[in-house]
Amino acid sequence: MGLIFIRTVIIFITLLIVMRLMGKRQIGEMQPYELVVTLIISELAGIPMADPSTPLLYGVMAILAVFLLHQIVCLLDLNFKPAKAIVSGVPSVLLNKNGIDDAELKKNSLDVSDLIESLRTEGYFSLDAVDYALYEAEGTFSALPKPNYEQLQNSLPVILVNEGKFDEKNLALTKRDRQYYLDVLKKQGCNKLKRILVMTVDGNGKVYLQEKGTKYKVFDLNWEETLW
Amino acid sequence: MVKTLVSIAITLGLIIGASCFEIYYVKSTFDLLTQVLLTLHDKTEAQTATFEDGTAVRQLWEEKKETLQIWLPHTAIQEVDYQLYEAVGFICVRDYKNALPKLEVVLGMCENIPQAYSLGIENIF
Repeated sequence: MGLIFIRTVIIFITLLIVMRLMGKRQIGEMQPYELVVTLIISELAGIPMADPSTPLLYGVMAILAVFLLHQIVCLLDLNFKPAKAIVSGVPSVLLNKNGIDDAELKKNSLDVSDLIESLRTEGYFSLDAVDYALYEAEGTFSALPKPNYEQLQNSLPVILVNEGKFDEKNLALTKRDRQYYLDVLKKQGCNKLKRILVMTVDGNGKVYLQEKGTKYKVFDLNWEETLW
Repeated sequence: MVKTLVSIAITLGLIIGASCFEIYYVKSTFDLLTQVLLTLHDKTEAQTATFEDGTAVRQLWEEKKETLQIWLPHTAIQEVDYQLYEAVGFICVRDYKNALPKLEVVLGMCENIPQAYSLGIENIF
């Protein structure tokens, strides 16, 4: 049974490391160690229960080992800050008052559309409606909106340029061609499309533009009509 | 925090206690069985083993088997069962030539089974 204990410890630690390496996307509302416990505990309980040739004590020992590890990790999580960061990870600030943090986005294996999608589920449809957006350690998003955020999102913004590439479907939606937007970008001092991290436009012609490594800009295209 | 520490101490105590007892119990049981089997083996080699000798060993195994099943997978115990019953069967009809290899197998198992479930790098991985 000592053997079962050591083997369980090895599997637990291996799974925990793998979960941490996979990143927050794989977790979803659980701490990495909680997910590891959930993953292995059902198997541990099921095998000795269904197989009469395996002593029940093997399952009991493995469950006790998981419980022990869980308690140790909980203890570290609550009382030792450096251990908490290693075991559970830390929140990432993906969007701040300067706009999207491209480096943090990449560090968390996300792209701009993932961020926009996650903000939408939180009720924020426009990137400029939010002062801060955080990717929590357990894989959920939180956002701190601007005080007047409701006035800033009166039409649904769509992504026109994502990491230097035009979205042709959304381009057609705005009833304007690529050249029109290239001219707009030129006026804003952006000569290289590849340098654009994100450019969104809403139905009223309000543009959110951010070049890589710079602060975002919001400006109006002064469209005569409202497109959507 | 106190509750967590107490639960850690109790669980650790249970795990270490159960593991130590398992190692001790399995090893001592198979050591005893090995001694008895060696005697039977010597008698079989000398062609003096009787039906009573064989059934006495089988009875001892039957007693120990019940507790061993708590600690070891039943498949390992069934293997010993099979080989020992055959050996005793041959001894009963005084077929010592066929009984000896069977006893050798059981002796080998008595040596290998405790090793296979003990703490060791080869068993962990």
